[in-house]
Amino acid sequence: MTDATIWDATRAAFGLLLSGDMELWRTIFISLRVSIIALLIATPFAIWTGYVLATGRFRWRRPLIVLLQSMLSFPTVVVGLILYLLFTRRGPLGDFHLLFTQDAMIIGQALIAFPVLAAFTLAAVQSADPRIRETALSLGANRWQAALTLLREVRFGVTASVLNGFGRVISEVGCAMMVGGNIAGVTRNIPTAIALETSKGEFAQGIALGLVLLVLALGVNILLSSLQGRGGVK
Amino acid sequence: MFHIRFVLFIFPLFLANGGAIADVLRLGTTTTTEDSGLLAWLIPAYETKSGDNVRITLGGTGQVLKFGRNGDVDVILSHSKSDEEKFVTDGFGVARLEVMYNDFVIVGPSDDPAKIRGMTDPKQALRKIFDGKIVFVSRADESGTHRAEQKIWNDLSLQPQGVWYLRAGAGMAEVLRIAHERGAYTLTDRGTFMKHKKSLDLQLWVTGEPKIPNQYAVMAIDPKKYPKTNIAAAQRFIDWIVSPEGQTHIANFRIDGQQIFFPNALSRK
Repeated sequence: MTDATIWDATRAAFGLLLSGDMELWRTIFISLRVSIIALLIATPFAIWTGYVLATGRFRWRRPLIVLLQSMLSFPTVVVGLILYLLFTRRGPLGDFHLLFTQDAMIIGQALIAFPVLAAFTLAAVQSADPRIRETALSLGANRWQAALTLLREVRFGVTASVLNGFGRVISEVGCAMMVGGNIAGVTRNIPTAIALETSKGEFAQGIALGLVLLVLALGVNILLSSLQGRGGVK
Repeated sequence: MFHIRFVLFIFPLFLANGGAIADVLRLGTTTTTEDSGLLAWLIPAYETKSGDNVRITLGGTGQVLKFGRNGDVDVILSHSKSDEEKFVTDGFGVARLEVMYNDFVIVGPSDDPAKIRGMTDPKQALRKIFDGKIVFVSRADESGTHRAEQKIWNDLSLQPQGVWYLRAGAGMAEVLRIAHERGAYTLTDRGTFMKHKKSLDLQLWVTGEPKIPNQYAVMAIDPKKYPKTNIAAAQRFIDWIVSPEGQTHIANFRIDGQQIFFPNALSRK
């Protein structure tokens, strides 16, 4: 590809974005919808898991923490493969007809986000002053109230974990491609569309979507750093 | 001393690659030839015969022709006559020869919700799927199969769209799997369906009368456009595939004892 084609494709990409190309914006909408719902599902479980692993004292705590941290580098295509085998019509969950639907993508992304969210929450809670929880308990708070007090103290760390999870799932291509099937207007999200458009030689579409992804990543990181800034001041 | 050891270590790495003195032929071809199993049957035989090393790049016909326009392949085996002829008139392809054919068929779920069982005219079958808004998976990748499907819709003056019309943007085997999972209909080449039908809950419903023709052709990239393409190897491959030997080899390809591709290069000479 020569410089001229890169330049032409980029110009065409801006044209597509500004002209309100329906196909393009639909892909962006699907990406956001799937990733945000996945996070809404995963976050409560993940925060609970992170909190329990950080504050609990039980037998399997250490091994579970090691397991959680190694899940951080679990390949997303393997998540895709496992879900594929579960969801296929001849698989154990085949009757639900989930394969090649947005629901399957949401489940996949929730599973991918979970270890990121839980591990970051774990680290945040561990870094908090343990006396916060002890004080809350001694002042008559029950375990739920104590947990909420502590989590409120480390809310910046927890928010950061959610944004990190978002960054992981919005750019994820392997699992989305396998369980979503990259069907236009249904399960085609930004990363799978970029993979497809590039293989077809439609660079303008690919660049336009890449720009949107970059802007999203930039936005999330600006949000993240501003939160951490305020968190430092307290 | 260090340098000698370094060279001794590095040198075999070059040998391992430079050892191959055979010509490399870059073949761009379509997912139907791969997914039906034809390439795995045909290419090793050609490599043994010629000594060439064939590197296969797969895509829909539209995509493969784009590889050709960029000079990324030496020879193309595809199946969309109008696209191929445009490729030749635009000055990218030379020596286009028809090689073999089979047909496209309509497959769908066993319970046949569109009630196309027993129909012979593929156009009427697709009209019925359209009218009933029954889920249908389109290749939607500018492949030869996609072109054949588009031609039927055009002949019917229909424009399929809506939630029932799934545009997959994927290869033939992948589209068959999507149809299988979603309980949908699709248009497929007979070969890929035959190859995969054991693992699919899909039935062959309309085989087409008249048949929907699926003609494959081979052509080389014009060396005047891209002097660095391997025109010698490309010509060798073309000569072989249209020769009695290559044609017989295509005819001998079987799935479950059935012939899948019908050579027709010799009859057209």
